[in-house]
Amino acid sequence: MQKMSNVKKSIITAVCIALCYVIPLMFHGIQNAGNIFCPMHIPVFICGLICGWQYGLLCGIAGPALSSALSGMPPVAILPSMMVELAAYGTAAGLMMKLVRTKSTYADLYISLIVAIVCGRVLAGLAKALIFARGSYSMSAWIAGSVVTSWPGTVIQLVFIPTIVFALMKSHLIPERYPKIED
Amino acid sequence: MNERMTGQFIPGNSVLHRLDARAKLICFIVLIAVVILAHSVIGYALVLAFTAALIIISKLPLSTAIGSVKRMFWFFVLIFIMNALFFSSENAIWSWWIISLSKDGMVQGFNVVFRVIVILLMANVFTLVTPPLETTHAIQSLLKPLKLVGLPADEIAMIISVAIQFIPTLLQEADTVKKAQIARGARFESRKLHERAAAMLPLIVPIFLSAFKKADELAMAMEARGYRGEKYRTHRKNGAMALGSYFAIFICCVLCAAEIVL
Repeated sequence: MQKMSNVKKSIITAVCIALCYVIPLMFHGIQNAGNIFCPMHIPVFICGLICGWQYGLLCGIAGPALSSALSGMPPVAILPSMMVELAAYGTAAGLMMKLVRTKSTYADLYISLIVAIVCGRVLAGLAKALIFARGSYSMSAWIAGSVVTSWPGTVIQLVFIPTIVFALMKSHLIPERYPKIED
Repeated sequence: MNERMTGQFIPGNSVLHRLDARAKLICFIVLIAVVILAHSVIGYALVLAFTAALIIISKLPLSTAIGSVKRMFWFFVLIFIMNALFFSSENAIWSWWIISLSKDGMVQGFNVVFRVIVILLMANVFTLVTPPLETTHAIQSLLKPLKLVGLPADEIAMIISVAIQFIPTLLQEADTVKKAQIARGARFESRKLHERAAAMLPLIVPIFLSAFKKADELAMAMEARGYRGEKYRTHRKNGAMALGSYFAIFICCVLCAAEIVL
Protein backbone atom coordinates (compact mmCIF):
# COMPACT_ATOMS: atom_id res chain seq x y z
CA MET A 1 0.00 0.00 0.00
CA GLN A 2 1.25 3.46 -0.88
CA LYS A 3 1.86 5.54 2.19
CA MET A 4 0.45 9.00 2.71
CA SER A 5 2.91 11.68 3.74
CA ASN A 6 2.60 13.19 7.20
CA VAL A 7 1.85 16.58 5.61
CA LYS A 8 -1.14 15.12 3.75
CA LYS A 9 -2.35 13.32 6.89
CA SER A 10 -2.11 16.62 8.81
CA ILE A 11 -4.11 18.51 6.18
CA ILE A 12 -6.76 15.76 5.97
CA THR A 13 -7.05 15.90 9.77
CA ALA A 14 -7.49 19.69 9.57
CA VAL A 15 -10.23 19.27 6.97
CA CYS A 16 -11.98 16.65 9.12
CA ILE A 17 -11.81 19.01 12.14
CA ALA A 18 -13.38 21.76 10.00
CA LEU A 19 -16.06 19.29 8.84
CA CYS A 20 -16.86 18.58 12.53
CA TYR A 21 -18.16 22.17 12.52
CA VAL A 22 -19.63 22.37 9.00
CA ILE A 23 -21.62 19.11 8.81
CA PRO A 24 -23.50 19.49 12.14
CA LEU A 25 -24.28 23.11 11.16
CA MET A 26 -26.31 21.79 8.20
CA PHE A 27 -28.41 19.68 10.60
CA HIS A 28 -29.01 22.46 13.17
CA GLY A 29 -32.45 23.31 11.76
CA ILE A 30 -33.69 19.80 12.55
CA GLN A 31 -35.04 19.12 16.02
CA ASN A 32 -32.62 17.10 18.21
CA ALA A 33 -30.57 16.25 15.08
CA GLY A 34 -27.26 16.05 16.97
CA ASN A 35 -28.44 13.16 19.16
CA ILE A 36 -30.35 11.34 16.42
CA PHE A 37 -28.09 11.65 13.37
CA CYS A 38 -24.71 12.15 15.15
CA PRO A 39 -23.31 14.20 12.22
CA MET A 40 -20.09 15.11 14.05
CA HIS A 41 -19.09 11.44 14.38
CA ILE A 42 -18.66 10.97 10.61
CA PRO A 43 -15.52 13.14 10.03
CA VAL A 44 -13.87 11.70 13.16
CA PHE A 45 -14.36 8.09 12.02
CA ILE A 46 -13.12 8.96 8.55
CA CYS A 47 -10.05 10.72 9.93
CA GLY A 48 -9.20 7.73 12.15
CA LEU A 49 -9.77 5.21 9.34
CA ILE A 50 -7.69 7.11 6.78
CA CYS A 51 -4.93 8.82 8.75
CA GLY A 52 -4.39 6.55 11.75
CA TRP A 53 -5.11 6.59 15.46
CA GLN A 54 -2.98 9.62 16.42
CA TYR A 55 -4.76 11.85 13.90
CA GLY A 56 -8.16 10.33 14.77
CA LEU A 57 -7.51 11.09 18.43
CA LEU A 58 -6.63 14.72 17.63
CA CYS A 59 -9.70 15.09 15.41
CA GLY A 60 -11.91 13.60 18.16
CA ILE A 61 -10.63 16.12 20.68
CA ALA A 62 -10.22 19.25 18.55
CA GLY A 63 -13.35 18.80 16.38
CA PRO A 64 -16.00 19.16 19.09
CA ALA A 65 -13.88 21.76 20.95
CA LEU A 66 -13.63 23.97 17.85
CA SER A 67 -17.31 23.54 17.03
CA SER A 68 -18.27 24.37 20.61
CA ALA A 69 -16.09 27.50 20.57
CA LEU A 70 -17.41 28.73 17.21
CA SER A 71 -21.07 27.73 17.30
CA GLY A 72 -21.80 26.90 20.95
CA MET A 73 -22.68 23.33 19.90
CA PRO A 74 -22.11 20.96 21.62
CA PRO A 75 -22.82 23.04 24.78
CA VAL A 76 -19.87 23.39 27.16
CA ALA A 77 -21.64 21.20 29.74
CA ILE A 78 -21.58 18.09 27.53
CA LEU A 79 -18.36 18.93 25.67
CA PRO A 80 -15.95 16.86 27.86
CA SER A 81 -18.00 13.64 27.60
CA MET A 82 -18.40 14.17 23.86
CA MET A 83 -14.66 14.71 23.46
CA VAL A 84 -14.01 11.41 25.25
CA GLU A 85 -16.51 9.62 23.00
CA LEU A 86 -15.19 11.08 19.74
CA ALA A 87 -11.55 10.61 20.77
CA ALA A 88 -12.35 6.93 21.40
CA TYR A 89 -13.99 6.64 17.96
CA GLY A 90 -11.02 8.18 16.16
CA THR A 91 -8.42 6.18 18.11
CA ALA A 92 -10.24 2.83 17.86
CA ALA A 93 -10.97 3.27 14.14
CA GLY A 94 -7.30 4.06 13.43
CA LEU A 95 -5.98 1.18 15.54
CA MET A 96 -8.40 -1.33 14.01
CA MET A 97 -7.50 -0.29 10.47
CA LYS A 98 -3.86 -0.96 11.38
CA LEU A 99 -4.59 -4.36 12.92
CA VAL A 100 -7.30 -5.76 10.63
CA ARG A 101 -6.16 -6.96 7.19
CA THR A 102 -8.66 -9.30 5.51
CA LYS A 103 -7.59 -8.48 1.90
CA SER A 104 -11.00 -6.85 1.37
CA THR A 105 -11.25 -3.09 1.85
CA TYR A 106 -14.96 -3.21 2.68
CA ALA A 107 -14.49 -5.98 5.28
CA ASP A 108 -11.62 -4.04 6.92
CA LEU A 109 -13.69 -0.87 6.97
CA TYR A 110 -16.80 -2.51 8.42
CA ILE A 111 -14.90 -4.47 11.10
CA SER A 112 -12.95 -1.37 12.14
CA LEU A 113 -16.05 0.81 12.10
CA ILE A 114 -18.24 -1.55 14.14
CA VAL A 115 -15.51 -2.12 16.76
CA ALA A 116 -14.90 1.65 16.94
CA ILE A 117 -18.63 2.41 17.33
CA VAL A 118 -18.93 -0.12 20.18
CA CYS A 119 -15.70 1.10 21.87
CA GLY A 120 -16.77 4.74 21.66
CA ARG A 121 -20.28 4.12 23.00
CA VAL A 122 -18.98 1.96 25.88
CA LEU A 123 -16.20 4.41 26.79
CA ALA A 124 -18.59 7.38 26.65
CA GLY A 125 -21.00 5.50 28.94
CA LEU A 126 -18.21 4.64 31.38
CA ALA A 127 -16.92 8.22 31.35
CA LYS A 128 -20.40 9.57 32.12
CA ALA A 129 -21.08 6.97 34.82
CA LEU A 130 -17.70 7.36 36.55
CA ILE A 131 -16.73 11.00 35.95
CA PHE A 132 -19.15 13.42 34.27
CA ALA A 133 -22.55 12.34 35.69
CA ARG A 134 -21.49 10.23 38.65
CA GLY A 135 -24.49 8.84 40.54
CA SER A 136 -27.09 10.16 38.12
CA TYR A 137 -26.29 8.01 35.08
CA SER A 138 -27.86 4.58 34.69
CA MET A 139 -27.68 1.64 32.29
CA SER A 140 -31.14 2.55 30.92
CA ALA A 141 -29.98 6.14 30.25
CA TRP A 142 -26.97 4.74 28.38
CA ILE A 143 -29.13 2.40 26.28
CA ALA A 144 -31.62 5.22 25.58
CA GLY A 145 -28.92 7.72 24.58
CA SER A 146 -26.36 5.51 22.84
CA VAL A 147 -28.55 2.87 21.20
CA VAL A 148 -32.21 3.88 20.94
CA THR A 149 -32.05 7.63 20.19
CA SER A 150 -29.01 7.44 17.95
CA TRP A 151 -29.93 4.36 15.85
CA PRO A 152 -30.54 6.48 12.71
CA GLY A 153 -27.05 7.97 13.22
CA THR A 154 -25.53 4.49 13.55
CA VAL A 155 -27.24 3.36 10.32
CA ILE A 156 -25.99 6.52 8.54
CA GLN A 157 -22.46 5.83 9.80
CA LEU A 158 -22.52 2.22 8.64
CA VAL A 159 -23.87 3.16 5.21
CA PHE A 160 -21.99 6.38 4.49
CA ILE A 161 -18.52 6.00 6.02
CA PRO A 162 -17.34 2.96 3.99
CA THR A 163 -18.96 4.56 0.90
CA ILE A 164 -17.08 7.83 1.44
CA VAL A 165 -13.73 6.08 2.08
CA PHE A 166 -14.23 3.90 -1.01
CA ALA A 167 -15.20 6.93 -3.13
CA LEU A 168 -12.05 8.74 -1.93
CA MET A 169 -9.93 5.73 -2.91
CA LYS A 170 -11.59 5.45 -6.33
CA SER A 171 -11.01 9.15 -7.02
CA HIS A 172 -7.33 8.71 -6.00
CA LEU A 173 -7.58 11.31 -3.23
CA ILE A 174 -6.27 8.70 -0.78
CA PRO A 175 -4.17 5.61 -1.63
CA GLU A 176 -5.91 2.27 -2.26
CA ARG A 177 -5.65 -0.10 0.72
CA TYR A 178 -4.97 -3.13 -1.52
CA PRO A 179 -3.71 -1.76 -4.83
CA LYS A 180 -4.13 -4.03 -7.86
CA ILE A 181 -0.78 -5.32 -9.13
CA GLU A 182 -0.58 -4.78 -12.87
CA ASP A 183 1.31 -7.25 -15.03
CA MET B 1 -24.55 31.03 4.19
CA ASN B 2 -24.50 33.89 1.75
CA GLU B 3 -23.71 36.30 4.56
CA ARG B 4 -20.15 36.69 5.80
CA MET B 5 -19.13 33.37 7.26
CA THR B 6 -17.77 32.39 10.65
CA GLY B 7 -13.98 32.23 10.66
CA GLN B 8 -13.52 34.95 8.03
CA PHE B 9 -11.21 37.80 9.08
CA ILE B 10 -12.24 41.41 8.42
CA PRO B 11 -9.23 43.78 8.30
CA GLY B 12 -9.55 46.85 10.52
CA ASN B 13 -7.72 49.20 12.85
CA SER B 14 -9.71 48.89 16.09
CA VAL B 15 -8.14 48.23 19.51
CA LEU B 16 -9.21 44.58 19.22
CA HIS B 17 -7.64 44.25 15.77
CA ARG B 18 -4.33 45.61 17.09
CA LEU B 19 -4.30 43.50 20.28
CA ASP B 20 -1.76 40.63 20.38
CA ALA B 21 -3.43 37.42 19.12
CA ARG B 22 -2.02 35.49 22.12
CA ALA B 23 -3.74 37.92 24.48
CA LYS B 24 -6.97 37.66 22.48
CA LEU B 25 -6.90 33.86 22.68
CA ILE B 26 -6.22 33.87 26.45
CA CYS B 27 -9.00 36.47 26.94
CA PHE B 28 -11.39 34.34 24.86
CA ILE B 29 -10.72 31.26 27.02
CA VAL B 30 -11.14 33.30 30.24
CA LEU B 31 -14.37 34.83 28.88
CA ILE B 32 -15.82 31.36 28.16
CA ALA B 33 -15.18 30.59 31.85
CA VAL B 34 -16.88 33.90 32.76
CA VAL B 35 -19.99 32.94 30.76
CA ILE B 36 -20.13 29.50 32.41
CA LEU B 37 -19.70 31.01 35.88
CA ALA B 38 -22.49 33.60 35.42
CA HIS B 39 -25.60 32.52 37.34
CA SER B 40 -27.27 35.69 38.71
CA VAL B 41 -29.15 38.54 37.01
CA ILE B 42 -26.27 40.96 37.73
CA GLY B 43 -23.79 38.38 36.43
CA TYR B 44 -25.74 37.99 33.19
CA ALA B 45 -26.07 41.78 32.81
CA LEU B 46 -22.30 42.16 33.30
CA VAL B 47 -21.53 39.50 30.66
CA LEU B 48 -24.00 41.06 28.22
CA ALA B 49 -22.59 44.58 28.76
CA PHE B 50 -19.03 43.30 28.26
CA THR B 51 -19.99 41.49 25.05
CA ALA B 52 -21.74 44.62 23.73
CA ALA B 53 -18.64 46.66 24.62
CA LEU B 54 -16.44 44.18 22.70
CA ILE B 55 -18.63 44.51 19.59
CA ILE B 56 -18.53 48.33 19.82
CA ILE B 57 -14.76 48.43 20.40
CA SER B 58 -14.16 46.04 17.48
CA LYS B 59 -15.87 48.56 15.12
CA LEU B 60 -17.41 45.62 13.24
CA PRO B 61 -20.75 46.10 11.46
CA LEU B 62 -23.46 44.92 13.87
CA SER B 63 -25.07 42.65 11.27
CA THR B 64 -21.72 40.86 10.78
CA ALA B 65 -20.98 40.53 14.49
CA ILE B 66 -24.38 39.01 15.29
CA GLY B 67 -24.83 37.23 11.94
CA SER B 68 -24.25 33.71 13.27
CA VAL B 69 -26.77 34.25 16.11
CA LYS B 70 -29.40 35.49 13.63
CA ARG B 71 -28.91 32.41 11.47
CA MET B 72 -29.56 30.15 14.45
CA PHE B 73 -32.53 32.09 15.89
CA TRP B 74 -35.10 29.28 15.46
CA PHE B 75 -32.69 26.76 16.87
CA PHE B 76 -32.43 28.85 20.06
CA VAL B 77 -36.22 29.19 20.23
CA LEU B 78 -36.49 25.39 19.96
CA ILE B 79 -33.90 24.81 22.72
CA PHE B 80 -35.78 27.23 25.01
CA ILE B 81 -39.16 25.58 24.34
CA MET B 82 -37.78 22.05 24.86
CA ASN B 83 -36.30 23.07 28.23
CA ALA B 84 -39.41 24.99 29.29
CA LEU B 85 -41.74 22.07 28.48
CA PHE B 86 -39.69 19.01 29.44
CA PHE B 87 -37.13 20.08 32.09
CA SER B 88 -39.15 19.46 35.26
CA SER B 89 -42.64 18.23 36.17
CA GLU B 90 -42.43 19.69 39.69
CA ASN B 91 -44.16 23.06 40.32
CA ALA B 92 -45.66 22.93 36.84
CA ILE B 93 -47.59 26.01 35.72
CA TRP B 94 -49.44 23.96 33.12
CA SER B 95 -49.20 20.29 32.25
CA TRP B 96 -50.67 17.86 29.75
CA TRP B 97 -49.57 14.26 29.13
CA ILE B 98 -45.73 14.28 29.25
CA ILE B 99 -45.51 18.04 28.73
CA SER B 100 -45.18 20.32 31.79
CA LEU B 101 -44.46 24.00 31.51
CA SER B 102 -42.48 24.97 34.61
CA LYS B 103 -40.67 28.04 35.91
CA ASP B 104 -37.54 25.93 36.50
CA GLY B 105 -37.68 24.78 32.89
CA MET B 106 -38.00 28.32 31.58
CA VAL B 107 -35.05 29.46 33.74
CA GLN B 108 -32.98 26.49 32.53
CA GLY B 109 -33.92 27.22 28.90
CA PHE B 110 -32.91 30.86 29.32
CA ASN B 111 -29.59 29.86 30.95
CA VAL B 112 -28.67 27.48 28.11
CA VAL B 113 -29.70 29.83 25.30
CA PHE B 114 -28.07 32.88 26.89
CA ARG B 115 -24.73 31.11 27.39
CA VAL B 116 -24.66 29.66 23.88
CA ILE B 117 -25.52 33.04 22.30
CA VAL B 118 -22.86 34.95 24.26
CA ILE B 119 -20.11 32.36 23.55
CA LEU B 120 -21.12 32.41 19.89
CA LEU B 121 -20.89 36.22 19.77
CA MET B 122 -17.47 36.22 21.44
CA ALA B 123 -16.16 33.51 19.10
CA ASN B 124 -17.47 35.46 16.14
CA VAL B 125 -15.77 38.69 17.28
CA PHE B 126 -12.51 36.79 17.92
CA THR B 127 -12.37 35.24 14.45
CA LEU B 128 -13.46 38.47 12.72
CA VAL B 129 -10.69 40.57 14.31
CA THR B 130 -7.81 38.05 14.24
CA PRO B 131 -5.95 37.11 11.03
CA PRO B 132 -5.69 33.30 10.66
CA LEU B 133 -1.88 33.36 10.61
CA GLU B 134 -1.77 35.25 13.92
CA THR B 135 -4.25 32.73 15.37
CA THR B 136 -1.83 29.96 14.34
CA HIS B 137 1.09 31.66 16.08
CA ALA B 138 -1.05 32.28 19.15
CA ILE B 139 -2.12 28.62 19.33
CA GLN B 140 1.52 27.57 18.84
CA SER B 141 2.64 29.79 21.71
CA LEU B 142 -0.07 28.53 24.04
CA LEU B 143 0.57 24.87 23.18
CA LYS B 144 4.34 25.15 23.79
CA PRO B 145 4.12 23.49 27.25
CA LEU B 146 2.89 20.29 25.51
CA LYS B 147 6.38 19.91 24.03
CA LEU B 148 7.63 19.13 27.53
CA VAL B 149 5.65 15.86 27.49
CA GLY B 150 6.75 15.01 23.96
CA LEU B 151 3.60 16.06 22.09
CA PRO B 152 4.08 17.73 18.68
CA ALA B 153 2.66 21.11 19.72
CA ASP B 154 3.68 22.91 16.50
CA GLU B 155 2.08 20.22 14.34
CA ILE B 156 -1.16 20.39 16.39
CA ALA B 157 -1.22 24.20 16.13
CA MET B 158 -0.72 24.00 12.36
CA ILE B 159 -3.57 21.47 12.00
CA ILE B 160 -5.96 23.59 14.12
CA SER B 161 -5.15 26.79 12.24
CA VAL B 162 -5.59 25.08 8.84
CA ALA B 163 -8.94 23.74 10.13
CA ILE B 164 -10.07 27.27 11.07
CA GLN B 165 -9.01 28.58 7.66
CA PHE B 166 -10.90 25.78 5.90
CA ILE B 167 -14.24 26.57 7.60
CA PRO B 168 -15.38 29.45 5.29
CA THR B 169 -14.32 27.46 2.19
CA LEU B 170 -16.19 24.36 3.31
CA LEU B 171 -19.31 26.37 4.26
CA GLN B 172 -19.26 27.88 0.78
CA GLU B 173 -18.82 24.41 -0.72
CA ALA B 174 -21.71 23.03 1.37
CA ASP B 175 -23.88 25.91 0.18
CA THR B 176 -23.01 25.22 -3.47
CA VAL B 177 -23.78 21.48 -3.11
CA LYS B 178 -27.03 22.34 -1.31
CA LYS B 179 -28.12 24.66 -4.12
CA ALA B 180 -27.30 21.97 -6.68
CA GLN B 181 -29.46 19.51 -4.74
CA ILE B 182 -32.33 22.04 -4.56
CA ALA B 183 -32.10 22.39 -8.34
CA ARG B 184 -32.48 18.60 -8.53
CA GLY B 185 -35.63 18.75 -6.38
CA ALA B 186 -34.35 18.21 -2.81
CA ARG B 187 -36.84 19.46 -0.20
CA PHE B 188 -34.74 21.30 2.42
CA GLU B 189 -37.60 23.64 3.32
CA SER B 190 -40.14 20.85 3.83
CA ARG B 191 -42.22 21.09 7.00
CA LYS B 192 -41.74 17.35 7.58
CA LEU B 193 -38.60 16.73 9.62
CA HIS B 194 -37.85 13.31 8.09
CA GLU B 195 -37.98 14.85 4.59
CA ARG B 196 -35.58 17.61 5.63
CA ALA B 197 -33.24 15.09 7.24
CA ALA B 198 -33.42 12.81 4.20
CA ALA B 199 -32.58 15.78 1.95
CA MET B 200 -29.43 16.46 3.99
CA LEU B 201 -27.94 12.99 3.54
CA PRO B 202 -27.07 13.24 -0.20
CA LEU B 203 -24.98 16.32 0.66
CA ILE B 204 -22.53 14.37 2.80
CA VAL B 205 -20.61 12.39 0.14
CA PRO B 206 -20.08 15.34 -2.31
CA ILE B 207 -18.96 17.60 0.56
CA PHE B 208 -16.39 15.02 1.70
CA LEU B 209 -15.11 14.49 -1.84
CA SER B 210 -14.79 18.22 -2.43
CA ALA B 211 -13.14 18.81 0.97
CA PHE B 212 -10.60 16.02 0.39
CA LYS B 213 -9.85 17.38 -3.09
CA LYS B 214 -9.02 20.73 -1.50
CA ALA B 215 -6.92 18.99 1.16
CA ASP B 216 -5.05 17.06 -1.54
CA GLU B 217 -4.30 20.27 -3.48
CA LEU B 218 -3.11 22.10 -0.36
CA ALA B 219 -0.91 19.19 0.79
CA MET B 220 0.61 18.94 -2.70
CA ALA B 221 1.25 22.71 -2.81
CA MET B 222 2.89 22.62 0.64
CA GLU B 223 5.12 19.67 -0.26
CA ALA B 224 6.05 21.27 -3.60
CA ARG B 225 7.25 24.31 -1.66
CA GLY B 226 9.46 22.11 0.50
CA TYR B 227 7.27 21.87 3.62
CA ARG B 228 8.21 18.71 5.52
CA GLY B 229 6.53 19.38 8.86
CA GLU B 230 6.83 21.97 11.57
CA LYS B 231 10.06 20.39 12.87
CA TYR B 232 12.02 21.67 9.88
CA ARG B 233 10.33 25.05 9.64
CA THR B 234 11.69 28.40 10.76
CA HIS B 235 9.42 30.93 12.42
CA ARG B 236 9.18 34.63 12.91
CA LYS B 237 10.19 35.23 16.52
CA ASN B 238 7.21 36.24 18.62
CA GLY B 239 8.20 39.17 20.80
CA ALA B 240 6.97 39.75 24.33
CA MET B 241 3.37 40.91 24.68
CA ALA B 242 2.79 44.64 25.02
CA LEU B 243 1.46 46.19 28.24
CA GLY B 244 -1.97 46.66 26.65
CA SER B 245 -2.23 42.90 26.10
CA TYR B 246 -1.54 42.20 29.77
CA PHE B 247 -4.12 44.85 30.68
CA ALA B 248 -6.74 43.12 28.50
CA ILE B 249 -6.03 39.76 30.17
CA PHE B 250 -6.20 41.50 33.58
CA ILE B 251 -9.65 42.97 32.77
CA CYS B 252 -10.95 39.53 31.75
CA CYS B 253 -9.55 37.98 34.95
CA VAL B 254 -11.22 40.72 37.03
CA LEU B 255 -14.51 39.98 35.25
CA CYS B 256 -14.03 36.27 36.01
CA ALA B 257 -13.38 37.04 39.70
CA ALA B 258 -16.48 39.29 39.76
CA GLU B 259 -18.62 36.46 38.37
CA ILE B 260 -17.33 34.11 41.09
CA VAL B 261 -18.21 36.66 43.81
CA LEU B 262 -21.62 37.54 42.29
